Amino acid sequence: MSDLQQVWDAAKASPFSPTFSKDSQFLVGAVLLTIAFVLSGVFALNRSLATLPVLAIPASLAFGFGAVYMICAVGVNV
Amino acid sequence: MRLLHSLPTIFALTLPSLADSNASKPLSSKQILSSTFKPPQVFENVNLVRNVNLEKGYPREMINVVIKNVDSTAQSKYYLPFEADLIARVGGLEVRDKKNTGKDAFKVEVTEFDTESSTEFYLVHLPEPLAPGAELTIGITFAVTAALNPLPDTIDQMAQQTVQYITSAYSPSAYKTLKQKTKIKFGTISIPDYTVIPNKNADGSEDPTRQGSTFTYGPYDDIPAGASQPIAARYDYTKPLVHATLLERDIEVSHWGGNLAIEERYWLTNRAAKLKNHFSRVQWQMTKYANPPSTALKTLQFPLKGGSVNPYFTDDIGNVSTSRFRPGKAQALLELTPRYPIFGDWKYSFKIGWDADLKGFLRRVSKGDGYVLKVPFLEGPKLAEGIEYEKVEVRVILPEGAQNVKYTAPVPVINSEITTHRTFMDTVGRPTLQLSAINVVDEWRDEDLIITYDYPWTASYRKPLTIAAAVGSLFVAIWVIGNIDTRIGGRK
Repeated sequence: MSDLQQVWDAAKASPFSPTFSKDSQFLVGAVLLTIAFVLSGVFALNRSLATLPVLAIPASLAFGFGAVYMICAVGVNV
Repeated sequence: MRLLHSLPTIFALTLPSLADSNASKPLSSKQILSSTFKPPQVFENVNLVRNVNLEKGYPREMINVVIKNVDSTAQSKYYLPFEADLIARVGGLEVRDKKNTGKDAFKVEVTEFDTESSTEFYLVHLPEPLAPGAELTIGITFAVTAALNPLPDTIDQMAQQTVQYITSAYSPSAYKTLKQKTKIKFGTISIPDYTVIPNKNADGSEDPTRQGSTFTYGPYDDIPAGASQPIAARYDYTKPLVHATLLERDIEVSHWGGNLAIEERYWLTNRAAKLKNHFSRVQWQMTKYANPPSTALKTLQFPLKGGSVNPYFTDDIGNVSTSRFRPGKAQALLELTPRYPIFGDWKYSFKIGWDADLKGFLRRVSKGDGYVLKVPFLEGPKLAEGIEYEKVEVRVILPEGAQNVKYTAPVPVINSEITTHRTFMDTVGRPTLQLSAINVVDEWRDEDLIITYDYPWTASYRKPLTIAAAVGSLFVAIWVIGNIDTRIGGRK
């Protein structure tokens, strides 16, 4: 038996599970993108140094993760 | 009967093209030997039984041999000779200890003289040197691709086909063989022609002896090294000889999507007899429902792993609608009907793909950032007549940022390299393990390829953070540009 087969057998208890299953990717992506859209809208209305960390950074993070999940949900598994 | 050392010169003079055909096909870890090389006569084959199975479209050979060390020192290198044109078509050669089948197969490598020589060798490394006078029973298995040839090579559209198989009644050996026999198992009892050896065998009976669909040549006593006794058989085989000149198989791992995407691109051909006349659609359609045996390849069935989803089947024109997919938890079945029946010498290339849940294929190693992936090296169609692949290229596309890639392949791999594959949303590209194998047959389907790699969590956040950084810089730019005072008059 090869060494890697032993590694495979030893890891039996820990199958890979993604943070969000395939079924919920669209929902998660849509929610995050909506948050990003709303926050960007609010930021666009009051642009200031104070709103940058409060609105723009959460908006861009929500867009980043939301985009990845939405791309996966529509079938391009990145 | 020819002695081994005279073979190179005879063949180099008569068949230079055969040596060339091999030179263009790289085989694994070649050891170049001088043209005067002759394997040291340190072994003797005490008893050898060779089984050739011709039930499928490629011969599958299994040689069980008791070898004995006749030298005064312990020996571990056993040579197995093949003619140059044959060695280029030998695939999946495996040598095991027959009395200890649970153990790993022995290390085997291809050696050759120079490119002009006609005999090349597989060198088998016995795991432990065999003591002087000791015996060991080994089992050698391999398949030969493109070995059956239709005879006659043109037939009518619905005619019966016969194929010819040529081999030697004596098993190829670099050593003296005390006792041997060759058993050939056909898939039919209709064998119009076969070689009858004029001399009787060692038991004093007809050679070959026939029992139903099995022919036995031999037993023969005291056959010297390199001896050959050409034999041929022509038998009924009204089935396609499915031959894939190339199969490219991509396996793409996505941690974010929890998905394993598989795509296979086939370049198929049928080695069966060519059509004597033009293809008759009317005749084809008339016999369609009676479904008589035919040399045409009509359908391909791909049993996929349970849980496979989103299949597609396209060719150069586009989507091929004549396919059916039966999803299932235990097994899914993809049934394809090519655009046209593939007759002898016709070609068809197409692409199929499907998705699967990554959960069943990937596990996390308990410590560190390691992952272990187990995927079939080959899936491909399951046909009663079998399918042979001249070249298989498997690419395993790992997530971006994976490092420290290791693998074990179930088939002898002639080349492996790690390249970078760039696709959607990639910044640095995905490490891709590329494995090439030649002369693979469908018996290897469902044999697993195991890969381990490290995938640090920092690498996994590369994609969303890159997008976030891009959008974030857009916001900053909007804020900066929005604050630029473009009024002509001064600020009040």
